[in-house]
Amino acid sequence: MFVKPFRYVRAASLAEAAHGLREADGGARVLAGGQSLLPMMNLGLLDLDAVIDVSHVDEARGVAEDDGYLRIGALTRHREVQADPLVTSRQPLLASAAGRVGSSRIRARGTLGGSLAHSDPAAELPLAMIALGATYEVTDGTATRTVRADEFHVSYFTTDLAPDELLAEVRVPTLGPGWGWGFQEVSRRPGDFAIVAAAALVRLADGEIVESRLALGGVSERALRLGAVESSVTGARAGQLEERIGPIEGLDPVTDTSATADHRRHLARVLSVRALADASRRAEEAA
Amino acid sequence: MNDERFGVSTTLVVNGRPVTRSAGGHVTLLRWLRDEADVLDPKYGCGEGVCGACTVLVDGEPASACIVLAAQCEGAAITTAAGLLGDDGEPSPLQRAFHEHHAAQCGFCTPGMLMCAQAMLADGTTRSRDEIREELHGNLCRCTGYQHIVDAIEDAQGAGR
Amino acid sequence: MNDEIRTSKLDELRVVHQPLARHDAAEKIAGSTRFAGDLAYAGMLHARLVRSVVPSARLTRRDVSRAAQVPGVVAVLLGEDVPNNEISVDVPGQTIAVGALKARMQILATERVRFHGEPIALVIAEHEDALAEACEAVEVEYEELPVISEPADALAEGAFKIHEGGNLLAEWRIDRGDVDAAFAAADVVIEGAYATQFVDHAYLEPEAGVGWYDDDGVMNLRVATQVVEHYRDVAKILGVPDSKVRVIAPYVGGGFGGKEDMTVEPYLALAVAHTRRPVRMQWTRNESLLARAKRHRNHMTYRTAATNDGTILAQDIEIVSDAGAYAYLSALVLLYSSVHACGPYRLDAARIRATTAYTNNPPTSAFRGFGGMQVVLGYESQMDELAKWLRLDPGEVRKRNALRRGDRLPVGQEIITEVQLAQTIDAVRERAGDKPAPSGPRKAVGRAIASNMQSYGRLVWLNDSAAAWIGFQMDGSLTVRCGVPDIGGGQASSLGQIASEILAVDMDRITVHFGDSALNPLAGTTTATRQLLMSGNATYEAAVMLRDQLLGAVALEIGEPVEAFAMTPAGIAGPAGTTAVTAALQICRRRNVPVEALGTFFGPKGKEVTRDLDGERLFPDFTFGTHLADVEVDLDTGEVKVLRYIAAHDVGRAINPLSVEGQIAGAAVQGIGQALLEEIVMQDGVNLTGGFFQYLIPTAMDVPDIEAIVLESGEGLGPFGARGIGEPPIGPPLAAISSAIADAVGARPTTLPITPERVLECVERGAPSTSPAP
Repeated sequence: MFVKPFRYVRAASLAEAAHGLREADGGARVLAGGQSLLPMMNLGLLDLDAVIDVSHVDEARGVAEDDGYLRIGALTRHREVQADPLVTSRQPLLASAAGRVGSSRIRARGTLGGSLAHSDPAAELPLAMIALGATYEVTDGTATRTVRADEFHVSYFTTDLAPDELLAEVRVPTLGPGWGWGFQEVSRRPGDFAIVAAAALVRLADGEIVESRLALGGVSERALRLGAVESSVTGARAGQLEERIGPIEGLDPVTDTSATADHRRHLARVLSVRALADASRRAEEAA
Repeated sequence: MNDERFGVSTTLVVNGRPVTRSAGGHVTLLRWLRDEADVLDPKYGCGEGVCGACTVLVDGEPASACIVLAAQCEGAAITTAAGLLGDDGEPSPLQRAFHEHHAAQCGFCTPGMLMCAQAMLADGTTRSRDEIREELHGNLCRCTGYQHIVDAIEDAQGAGR
Repeated sequence: MNDEIRTSKLDELRVVHQPLARHDAAEKIAGSTRFAGDLAYAGMLHARLVRSVVPSARLTRRDVSRAAQVPGVVAVLLGEDVPNNEISVDVPGQTIAVGALKARMQILATERVRFHGEPIALVIAEHEDALAEACEAVEVEYEELPVISEPADALAEGAFKIHEGGNLLAEWRIDRGDVDAAFAAADVVIEGAYATQFVDHAYLEPEAGVGWYDDDGVMNLRVATQVVEHYRDVAKILGVPDSKVRVIAPYVGGGFGGKEDMTVEPYLALAVAHTRRPVRMQWTRNESLLARAKRHRNHMTYRTAATNDGTILAQDIEIVSDAGAYAYLSALVLLYSSVHACGPYRLDAARIRATTAYTNNPPTSAFRGFGGMQVVLGYESQMDELAKWLRLDPGEVRKRNALRRGDRLPVGQEIITEVQLAQTIDAVRERAGDKPAPSGPRKAVGRAIASNMQSYGRLVWLNDSAAAWIGFQMDGSLTVRCGVPDIGGGQASSLGQIASEILAVDMDRITVHFGDSALNPLAGTTTATRQLLMSGNATYEAAVMLRDQLLGAVALEIGEPVEAFAMTPAGIAGPAGTTAVTAALQICRRRNVPVEALGTFFGPKGKEVTRDLDGERLFPDFTFGTHLADVEVDLDTGEVKVLRYIAAHDVGRAINPLSVEGQIAGAAVQGIGQALLEEIVMQDGVNLTGGFFQYLIPTAMDVPDIEAIVLESGEGLGPFGARGIGEPPIGPPLAAISSAIADAVGARPTTLPITPERVLECVERGAPSTSPAP
């Protein structure tokens, strides 16, 4: 509500935005959808000289298919990701994750790049990207580099981005034949921030899990791939998941006003089972 | 590239009326509407984009005006509850439905609720009560318990208005 | 029949009892209502408070010099700049040897802060934009002191003193009959300990207002408030005569008791007095959550003695409430808890010990239900546990013990009106039908009822009164003036309906001017569910007087007995025909008969209370009701979904049925919020709840339709036999939800809010019932 004045700068391209970030020397933030940035501003959590608005930039939008990948511009809105026919058909896990971000109002404005750069450990999109093994194209206006999702998301609201870099594009592997997906989350009220979320992919052969990918959000400083759980369910049928998955190691969740750390640990297991079960069911149906 | 600390000039079409004002780049759409354009029906309730008391339509889309910068919206059409009234000041069918179903008690959440409801009606979908409640998720009310509001929207929707 | 009760036959009522849309609703729906924060004056200044960042400390340094230099800042005020830097409220019931202890608070702290968020400095600036930087520039140094977070710690031997007089703020005791003998004779004793949390009012409109001096040098404060009488407190702070301050209450965006104490008033007044310019103040949601007085956190221990047929013999109850850093209304709230502690049931023996203690938590004060709410969790949980233990039907056990007219509460008060508790129990059960089946294999469904009683009208020894003025315009339209604030419950609108009913004037020819301490007769606070009783009756009185004046004048003119005349919509009907109202008004003019009347209604009287509560009459009357809840529990995640919710209350007479249903639905949803979601989270005195993203109130997706069943016994003390309905429906959800969860999973939650963690603890303790009960 009571905000110290700052400059508003509208960028016509990502390169211009990067330039603006360099000039501001740490005093500027990028504004895309504003759904994370502005609440923080209103709560007095930010001290800004300038805000660089990229929401009108023409590039970095839309979904295209490459060989085995979807290429999604960082400025694509959640609602567009959720509804895009390429996404719903080629990587439905991502469509589901995008459809669970906040409320329909937030999805109308919020952008993929914005959510990923914000890097909330419980957020659906960073989780989906880590589960899917996505990579990000990051630009400083001149050079572009590729970063793996699990290296990009470093810690609470902290990413690999240099002060003058922006996300330009996300490359998401498409769902191969025989794979099924599952996405589960729990929040205090429907549509709130997730307390814990689970993203799972499973490939079956003769009804048994041959390969799986499982990642959890809200259980650590960033979303975690759970290789140990993936190993433990190899060879399992859907009905055996409950007994195969014990308490999950390696988590370090927090206690906050939404939930205790113990409860998050408990939910981690419950949602892992459910997400893997959903994924198995979908893999069966796809077969 | 615009680059001023104060005096970012923004033009918005507010309830059909073009308004041009200079204000700081940090000024939210909510504050711009209230302090610059004298449009008082969107309210400050939380500043977090959670309560929905500031909901307006930006080019027909519901947005929480407290988490949008005015300058971001340059050129957009903004609609508030006052903009739903007819030229003669008569309430719209949706507003009449709110009235008939006693959907306003203290009235503070009402302008925001109306805009969320208006967006629902505008997309032409017929929603169940549960679906209406889902769309209303971003608009909090502390007085009514919501169902008279749901009644009003269901009524307005059913009458094809 | 008690002649205090005004009843009337339903078929005789013309306007009252009609589901009329309220006259204020049209403006609210058009978006044109100007709430307290919507007024602006040219040249208006903006004010903001600097608040303590620690819960308990001595203030060793306060330096505003840097802040005063920030461009746009007009002044920065400290406690020394306040003419009388103390709000002093003489609240009866503050106990302890310090007989003269008053509830005292500084407007701006000078030496000591006692809670996180306590105001220290007031920044006044030309532009809102200067406030953020200026507030940051105010330098405050703290010497931290011990922090007390629990009433038990506050009351321990040698505990650090939060206030001079010690940490015990108030105590109440109720003794009736021989409790020990009753327990000795009992077949069964049920013991339970229950805890409720700090709850915030979370009205959508944060605290706000605008102040200015008018042409007569009167301080005008147009603020979101439930009490215009605070002009007296402001006058004392400024050191001016009471008549030099005016408080205007516009339509308020939700109050629920949170705008009952002063909020922005003293600060606006200070800023206006200092600068001689208009000033606006708007609190942020964060400030509101941080510093506004909360609902008391209660710890309650119950021992209930009963016989095998379910008859309650005695209750032995201990209540400890957290008064927070300053007293506010804590002693009174605790009194309500004490009087209501046994619920709507008969019993011969009771021992109630209630204590409230200071802590370094946020101050606690009035909130819809005012102490009568938390105890519902206690007495209704006990009822259900008793029924379960004895394998009796929960509804039958309640009916067996239900109060009846002529019974006395443990405190001694006689019930003088009809009690329709049994009817409310039957009503919700009949509406509910069969319990639904769970929607999946790892889900369980539970159902429970909860009954309650809640007083309406203020404590009788407070000598409550309200006044209203009604005057005819010469064209036959009506003006009503009454100082009542309207906080969304249709307070102003009901007065119009009452006047319309008696004087036969159409609603759209009646204007109600409300909420102005200077221009309207004072009607007291919009709290305690008292306005329908008090200002409603005052309006009724005025209307009857005015009606009789007109009828009398016309009767004299025509030369017939006054009994032969009646007010009708067409005019004054008499033996020879109907006289138009405008003609009647001219007759009054000629005959020197006034065409206006001032009605004053005095609330019932009683003797003042002492610590050992014993009174034939403490409250005017009570409203009774029962709720029913169906919930579904996810046995793996602990999530709870409220499937169905039915609420039945006897409202005496529904002046406006739509309003009554609206109050019931809104209150029930607030209660469900407290049961499942809401909590102001404190950690060593630090308030962790920073916004609505953390303080979770029910959204439209968290509650089903609230099915309201309105019973009308006709036996309330309000106009036309009405009972108050603003507060009563907020209590039962605490117990209906917790008991329903207990029914689903086999073990009872006893601490609120019932988070998923607490649900899972219950799942572990009990055996889930996954099949529907017959």
